[in-house]
Formats: sequence, C-alpha cells, structure tokens
Amino acid sequence: MKITRMESTLYAFDLDRRMGDANSPSGRIRGSGCVVELHTDEGLVGIGLGGVGVRPQMQGMVEQLLQGQDPRRVQGLWKRMVDKHFKGGHDGLINDAIATLDMALWDLKAKANDEPLWKTLGGSKQPIHCYASDLGIPLSDDELAAWFKRMASECGFRGGKLKVGLDQDADIRRLELMERAFKQTAEAPMLLIDANEYWAPKQAIRKVAEMEERFDLTWVEEPARRWDYLGLRRIKDAVRTAVCAGENLDTLGDFLPYLQHRAADVIQVSYGMGGISCALQIADAAFGYELPITLGGSPGSIHAHLATVMPNFMTMEVIDPVAPDGVFTSDVRIEDGWAIPGDKPGLGIEIDREALVKQAVEKVPPGAGPSPFGRRPGAGLYEVLPTEAERAEAAKGVAQ
Amino acid sequence: MKITGYRVENYTMQMDRPIADSNYPSGDDLMPSSLLWIETDEGVSGIAPGGGDVERFFHLLEGQDPREVVGLWRRMVDYVHKGGLVAVGGPISSIDIALWDLKAKLAEEPLWQTFGALEGRTKAYASGIGYCLSDEDLFVFYRRMAERGVDGGKLKIGLDMTADLRRIGIMRDALSVASPRPQLMIDVNEYWSPKQAVRFMHEIEKHYDITWIEEPARRWDYEGLSQVSRQIKAAVATAENLKSIGEVYPLIHNQAVDIINVSTATSGFTGCRQVAHLAYAYELPVSMMNCQANYMAHLAAALPNHLSMEVVDPGREHCLDFDNHIEEGFIVLGDKPGLGIEVNEQKLRALQENPPVRKSNFPFARREGAGAYVKGVEDGEVPWK
Repeated sequence: MKITRMESTLYAFDLDRRMGDANSPSGRIRGSGCVVELHTDEGLVGIGLGGVGVRPQMQGMVEQLLQGQDPRRVQGLWKRMVDKHFKGGHDGLINDAIATLDMALWDLKAKANDEPLWKTLGGSKQPIHCYASDLGIPLSDDELAAWFKRMASECGFRGGKLKVGLDQDADIRRLELMERAFKQTAEAPMLLIDANEYWAPKQAIRKVAEMEERFDLTWVEEPARRWDYLGLRRIKDAVRTAVCAGENLDTLGDFLPYLQHRAADVIQVSYGMGGISCALQIADAAFGYELPITLGGSPGSIHAHLATVMPNFMTMEVIDPVAPDGVFTSDVRIEDGWAIPGDKPGLGIEIDREALVKQAVEKVPPGAGPSPFGRRPGAGLYEVLPTEAERAEAAKGVAQ
Repeated sequence: MKITGYRVENYTMQMDRPIADSNYPSGDDLMPSSLLWIETDEGVSGIAPGGGDVERFFHLLEGQDPREVVGLWRRMVDYVHKGGLVAVGGPISSIDIALWDLKAKLAEEPLWQTFGALEGRTKAYASGIGYCLSDEDLFVFYRRMAERGVDGGKLKIGLDMTADLRRIGIMRDALSVASPRPQLMIDVNEYWSPKQAVRFMHEIEKHYDITWIEEPARRWDYEGLSQVSRQIKAAVATAENLKSIGEVYPLIHNQAVDIINVSTATSGFTGCRQVAHLAYAYELPVSMMNCQANYMAHLAAALPNHLSMEVVDPGREHCLDFDNHIEEGFIVLGDKPGLGIEVNEQKLRALQENPPVRKSNFPFARREGAGAYVKGVEDGEVPWK
C-alpha cells in the first residue's frame, strides 16, 4: 500500500456555547478545523484532524517524505518527518503538521487491518474515564450551572473542570456551582481547575490555598508557565492538589525537565504533541515515573483509542460530548460518563461531505481560532478583571 | 478471533560453541530452553522462544483477542501486582512475544511493520560472549562477522588485564576489515566494584578507544554506575538484568548511565518498548540484547533511539527456521508474517528424545571475588591461558 496524495479542507462552525478561558473572558462563538485526507493506491483514505495553519507545510511533507511510502510503517515515517526538521526544530507549526499527518497515518494503518485503531494499538475495548470541561469563563453563573448540570444528568459525568484565574471570588462561587451539579452523579465529584498559565507561581499558591479551604480539588492545571518547571515544582510542593501540566508542550524532549525535576503530578498528553506516535512515547516515559497522564480534549473524543493502551491513563477531557463541528461523526460515544470507543475501522471518523462543502472556508474567520486574543494583559503579574465591554460581549451568548 | 489454548515444549539447546563471561569463564554449550505456542480458534498460532509457568496466566488470556496484546500485557502485569515482576517476568514476556507474533500474522505482515518500522533492518554488533574461546577462535568469530559488514564488537573481560588487553586488540584487528576504527565494547557482567571499574578502565583507555563498557557495577547501583561514567571516557551501558520499567527508573532519573540495554527481560516487546521510550525522553540510546533467531530486531527496527543490536550467533536455532540474516552490518528481517520463525517439529522432537547426558551450567552463578577482588582464571579454565 502506498500513499499517493493529500487533500485538505479548512472549515468553520458555530459553537453551542461561548468559550473562553482566563486569557479571553469575552470568549468566542466560532470554531475552525481542517480535514486532512491521505489517499493511497488501494483506495483507503486516512483522516487527520488539525493543521489549520500549516496546510502548505503538510503538503510539502507529503510530497517529499510520504508519497510512495507504506502508511503501515508509521513509526518510521514519523521519525522521517521529525528528522527532516532537525535544524529548525520539530516544535511549533511543524509539530502541528507532523501531528496531523501522523494521525492520518495511524488511521490508515488501522484501516489496512480493517480494525478500529484501539485494536491496532493493542488495546482492549473498555470504558474510558472522562470529565466535562467547560471552557466557560464567558458563561454567566446560570449558564455555567445549567451546562454542568446537563453534563451530569444527560451524559453522566462525575466530575468537571472549571476555567479560573481572573476573579477569585467568582471562581470560588462557580466552583461551588460545579460541585453542586455533579453531586447528582457522584458523592465526591472530581473537581478540576485550570488557570491556563495566567498566574505566577506565588499567585497560584495563594489562590489554590484559599480554594482548598473549601474544596477538595483533584488538580490545578497550568498554574504557571509551561516551561517554568521550577515554578510548577514550587506550587506542587505548596498545595495539596496535584499540579497538572504539559498541554502546550510539543515534543517528548519538552517533557524532560518535567520528568527530571518532577515538576508535575499529572502529565497532559494529546495527539497534538508529535502525533499519536509521540503521544505514546510521552505516556511511556511518564509511566516510568509512575506519573498518571490525562488526555486533552480531542475532536470526537478520539483520544479514547489512545487511552486503551496507556498503562498510566487517568482521565480524558471532554469539551463537547458530540463534536459541534458538523462535518464529521465519531463512533466514540459518551455513555454514563464514560467514553466508549467504537468498532468502525481506524479512528472511526466519517466525513459528512455535504456539510464539509457547505462549511468550507478559504481561511480561518477572525475569532474562530482556539486562542483568538492571545495572552491576556496582567498574566503572571496581577489579575485584570473582565472589562465592561468584555462582559457585554460575553452576555450576548452565541447570538451572532 | 479468540485464544483457545497453548503449548509449551521444553528441550535442551545444544549450541555449536560454548559461551562464557567473567562469572564462568570456562563456559557451556548447553542451555535449558523452551518454546511457547499460543493457539487461536482460527488455526493461527503465535510462537515465542521461552515458556515457564504459562498456566498461571492462561485464564487471563483464554477467549480474548490476541490483537489486544497491550491490554493483555496490562492484565498479566496487574495480576502479579503483589509479588512483582521479578519472579514471574519470564512467562509474561514469552506470552507477550507470542501475542505480538499473532497480531502481525493476523495482519499478514512482518512484525517490524506492525511496530511501524520504515524498514526491516537494524544495525548489528558482534558479541562473542567468548571468554572461553581461544585467541584464534575469537579472531575467527569477529572476522566472520566483519566479513558481513559488522563494524562493532563486544568482548567479555574482567579477570585478567594482560589477556583482556591482548584480546581487545584481536577483536579490533578482526573487525578492521569492516571499518578502520571499529566500535569496541567490553562487558564485565557486574564482576567489578565501581572503583575497580574506574582503575581498570583507566588502564584500558590508555590503549583503546572504547565505545561502551557494560555492567561495570551492579545492576541496581545507580550511584556506582554514575561514578564510573563520570570518571571514564567510554559510555556506561547497563540494564539487561532489570525486570521492569520501574527498575530502570533510578538509572534514568539519576542520569547514571549513558546507554540502556533493552531486552525481553522487561516483560516482552510491550515492556521493552516502554523502557526505550523512557530512555528516549532523556536522549539516551538503547541497545537490544541478543536473542535466539534475532527476533527482537523487529522492535529494534522501529525504535527511534536504537543504537545497535547484539548478535552472538552461537548456533542455537537447530529446531528453528528464521527469516533474517546479517548483511552490510545490519540485521535484515524478511517479509514473512509475524516473527518469521517456524519451528521444525521433527528436529524439536529429536532434541527432546535424545537429551544430552550432562547437565547445563546455565544460568551462570556469580564468581568468587565479584565486587571485592579479582579471582584470576585458573589453569585449565580457559584455552587462552
């Protein structure tokens, strides 16, 4: 089997709720994505989701490194892509391109065996522990409470993650709303908070300590900058809850300081880190340290496939129980608070051609990227509360 | 696709030549051996060299799909949680290998492709395990390997500095047809203490550029190994005797060694790959330990940080047909499905029916003086003295 060519389609979609974190309290109501299709001479097509900003780079890699190669040899092809970008580094935009192509290669490898990816990886079909993640700083208290309640009652989640960081009083109030929502399904809900690198280490220690007077938190995520392993370690030693970090790292090498200095208690992994190939390496390295790993939010919750083979897997983030993109379906379904991988070949992703054509765009519309406003002023220094204008914008909900 | 049964056959392996290290320099050519088959309802069987108490784990496997090998590995490892892997690693390792063989056979591809390797090849180095070989036989062995392009060799040393230095030179000369500067490795199999290792290496490094020294101190002594590494120029390689990623952890976290020896000892292909990935996070190379029919080369070919694999070739595959060979210094794997190993049942039966009269001395006991003082070879122990 040989790779022949790549197609990619950029698309945009409407979110079902306004999403934002400490860096963007007014949030966004549009999302974007990219469907990458790797064609083979045997008619099988591998699907990768991602690489929104790197379509030319992906095209170049396919032409120079993948065309004519057998996709079942994905580890070797992954190495080829990584080694090719030795000098400039395989992080950043190059990482996005490698990760997306690697995903498509794994999809093909599993499809070539006519089996779901979890089986190709060697996993067993099993329910995957997961939690509901709000991305809900722009939501009002009522909207937030309603969303968590729905996640508990309709989807069965027993824990959730709250975006925090700007307004300590509001964060404490909203933590209580989240806890109350999940009391429906769990006696001791899993409570997670995420500051998205908005704090300095000492801010984090003060704020988490105050929260811990009232709540038993399972983890605090990205309480300091991604590369500040000493700061993360400092927080880890000062609070009771676990420090969870790694989401914005790209390569296995990026994790070395975390491991060497035992900077985090829970390691975040995603296929966005050098693809499925590298995500598996990171999980194994963390396993050597007996560190639990958590898989981040993924389109159609496809991370459930990976969870089946990671011996130190803890829990997986679910931002939307059903992908809001509208251009694909996934056969990973959320049932009673667990993710159940399906039996369709490969990743189990099917493209809705009609919808894809309808939603295709030439370029990402303004405000539809994952972090459209960049880092918020005051980050690592002092908290800048949402402005009147930001509050007004957030209050619009998803109305256009 | 379901696992329905298994079969273990035991036999005594008679090698074409004896092998020996510093712990038992006179060596032996007999080794107790086993083969494992895992059978399925579709007639395909997975094969692995090895066996042991498979019965203890079979209830975890029966009725399961062998393609779910990583999940089954987890089941087995969790099952022995309390006692730990040290005592029971053997059968888990063999089962894991047989399951991967099955997984690749069911996908009708060689196992290296199942692991995702780009090519079925990995760099080889020659390892005589030949403390018992005469100087002449030693030369013949390394020259034979060099003629197949192998440009690195490893020598067992540790008991006699004069002879060890002479024999490193013999290995280098034999390999020099493959490279003007062959990779020279030496292995003391934990016979020295750290400070002995530092002193002896100081002497050896006056004469030779050594690529690595293997097991210059005890397997768990990360402080001692690290001390050796800091005081010598050569890399320190170790870990072949460890049984799980958890045992390898202190070596890596403390940056005690420079090369991690990986093998089936850490619970089969699945556990071996975990160790390699952990090493990769530290940019540490891994080197695959030798095995019958070189089957571990399938995984080595797919590892991003694999250095070179040990090839001993003592002639121990008398009842096995296998699908790989050494060419231009690489182990080149074929395209037969799975491990590419077939058992010749007739020859196996013959080995079982006519066992050697003598008992094997494997595994070698630790030699007197280890870690304390060097007990030199005695008259008649080896042909080179």
